[in-house]
Amino acid sequence: MPGAAREKGSTMSEEIKVDLELDLKGLLCPLPMVKVSQNITNVPVGGVIRAVATDPGSMADIPAWAKSTGNEVLSAEKQGNEFVFLVKRVK
Amino acid sequence: MDAQALQTIVGVIDKRMTRQVKQYLDICARCAICKDACHQYVGTDDLTYLPARRAELIRQVYKKYFDSAGRLVPALYEARDPDDALLDELYTSCYACTGCRRCMYYCPFSIDTQQIVAIGKAMLIAVGRGQEMLGQLADAALFKGENVEMFRDVLVSGFKDIEAEVREITGDPEATIPVDKQGADILYVALAGAHSIRPAAVIFHEAGVDWTISLFEAANYGYFFGDPEKARLIAKRFMDEAKRLGVKEVVVPECGHAYRVAEIFYEAWAKEALPFKVSHILEVVDRLIKQGRITVEKGRIEGRVTYHDPCQIARNGGIYEQPRDVVRALTDDFVDLIPNRAEQWCCGGGGGIVAIDELRDVRLKSGSKKVEQLKASGASVLACPCENCRLQIEDLNEMHGLGLQVRQVIDLVVEAMPLPRSASAS
Amino acid sequence: METYLQITSIWGVYLTAFVFFAGMGVRIYQWATTPRSPVPFGMFPKPATRGGRIAAMLRDTFVAPHSAQIEPRMWTFAMLFHLAALAAFVGHLRLVQEYPVLPKLLGTEGMNSFAAWAGGIAGTLMMVAVLYWIGRRTFGAFKNLSVPEDYLLLGLLLGVIVMGNHMRFFGDVHAAEYRAWFQSLLLFRPHIPEEIMTSNVGWSLGTHMLFVDLFLMYFPFSKLVHAVGAFATNLTRSE
Repeated sequence: MPGAAREKGSTMSEEIKVDLELDLKGLLCPLPMVKVSQNITNVPVGGVIRAVATDPGSMADIPAWAKSTGNEVLSAEKQGNEFVFLVKRVK
Repeated sequence: MDAQALQTIVGVIDKRMTRQVKQYLDICARCAICKDACHQYVGTDDLTYLPARRAELIRQVYKKYFDSAGRLVPALYEARDPDDALLDELYTSCYACTGCRRCMYYCPFSIDTQQIVAIGKAMLIAVGRGQEMLGQLADAALFKGENVEMFRDVLVSGFKDIEAEVREITGDPEATIPVDKQGADILYVALAGAHSIRPAAVIFHEAGVDWTISLFEAANYGYFFGDPEKARLIAKRFMDEAKRLGVKEVVVPECGHAYRVAEIFYEAWAKEALPFKVSHILEVVDRLIKQGRITVEKGRIEGRVTYHDPCQIARNGGIYEQPRDVVRALTDDFVDLIPNRAEQWCCGGGGGIVAIDELRDVRLKSGSKKVEQLKASGASVLACPCENCRLQIEDLNEMHGLGLQVRQVIDLVVEAMPLPRSASAS
Repeated sequence: METYLQITSIWGVYLTAFVFFAGMGVRIYQWATTPRSPVPFGMFPKPATRGGRIAAMLRDTFVAPHSAQIEPRMWTFAMLFHLAALAAFVGHLRLVQEYPVLPKLLGTEGMNSFAAWAGGIAGTLMMVAVLYWIGRRTFGAFKNLSVPEDYLLLGLLLGVIVMGNHMRFFGDVHAAEYRAWFQSLLLFRPHIPEEIMTSNVGWSLGTHMLFVDLFLMYFPFSKLVHAVGAFATNLTRSE
């Protein structure tokens, strides 16, 4: 289900602990950025959202959003047809 | 409300006041003829969304600080200070307003509520109560504009992905999405989403148009947020790019407000005449079809097709016939919604409201008239430009089980083009 | 009685004329000196020519076809009111100068009877429209939109109309006497003719004028400036 958020307490395969997973597949830009922004307050300061989008525009949108709001994109990777983001809430 | 904030708000009203808005505030007779014009008031029955009430909140403050009679006998006008209660209601009523201006169409004095609401938004922004999401989206766009080199590689790589799809669809391994092409005829300023680029690229390629794609998107959250300076700077990103590339025409995507910003507002904001013309993508597609530069075949789109006039393109942008001509070129089974054109009901998704979570309920309720219209049309396909309209109507479609296909017009065009893989274009 | 009439129908009239014209002047000056927005507010379709724009503005201002379409009942009452008010205004011009042709054509009796009918119909229509507006505003779903200004204006208007109708329907004073009074005002040699003071409608005239004075003195400071402003805003519609 696009846009659905589910709580996640366990760690991913990476070292980073993910507090919230966001499935943004199928959403058109700028909605992936909107969803990340709407959900950032659902993780504690220092917490991390892992978001998966399919719109290539998100590769610019989400980092730009993070920079302008003072949050941090830990990584933004293309994996096949998906774009995977780790976004850390800084404040 | 402390004295500082009060002074700030009063200062903003003073700074933003124009002759037109002053006349609107002075003459509104509170006759409430606008009650049946506004999709939000009709859909909710809540006074907050009555256009005249939205204006009244700003008028109450205006009367108290800018009108001698209001200063002398405030009770007569319910003139008051902008306290928390007023600002709370102002926030909801201003950010819920889609700026469709259907109320202006029916008002005996043609009062432009959107312009009054713009002052309301400026009051809110001045005291840090602007809508946060819209503000963030505007800032992100500005950040991209100021740091274009930081994003160039990701953007170009995104275009390459879309280019690969365009090659599949057209069956032409040489098809390209040109970036930074100096002297191209057209600069196409899309949205960030690939869906706004892919079909346009197919059409431009097939028509042999000399075009190039913008590194910026046409969407303008500064405009929705209510900060004209940010709105100007966001549009300036691609206007400057167009000047640098020396193009003849800037083409904006189906998105409604982007067209109005670029074509109707920008020159006045920037106080300069643009050396190129600004067109809506559907004007260009209509032209290409009529010139025979692209081929579309009837019969590929199944079912009855109808068309929704996005307010910013139609009533507020003047583009009524070209999109209809495009759709009529694709099907023999076209039916108009009733009412349509200048009287078209706003779908309820404009003005940035689709990005505002807390207004979701109002937004969905405000679609009631659009749902009635769509049901009455008997159509199974809705040709719907404007991203915001589509997002809203998709929600209505699901909620009311309308069973409609809600499609971008350019997607329908590509679908109707005899191409090797046109079926996968959408 | 004489003092009452002197206050409302002589000195009150002079004061009202001053406040009304000065107030409207100030209002128009304020509009004229506020910079226009450089952004065009017009909506489509727009007339292509200047003449077309002005024609559309006049149509929208005097006929309001779009309002008629969306709320025909309100439009009907508003039209009736404004047309009846225009007729009443034209009728009141007899106070300045008797009409040139009509009285000769109809004779004194005929003219009195014509004025009674025309004025009576106009006065009744205005009263009905104002009562409709009061009802609509008080009982409509949007009643909380209204502010005291709305009721004050409707109250004053009702006062003007009711007292005017009282003179029209129950008075035995005709135009000539009222004209003598009004012309004396215009010539700055104000006096109230004996016939009015000794008639049964002296009080009505005094009270009619009291409401007229208050209504017109308040006019420039109220939403009624739409009488002038609507021309400008309806022109903005096509800019």
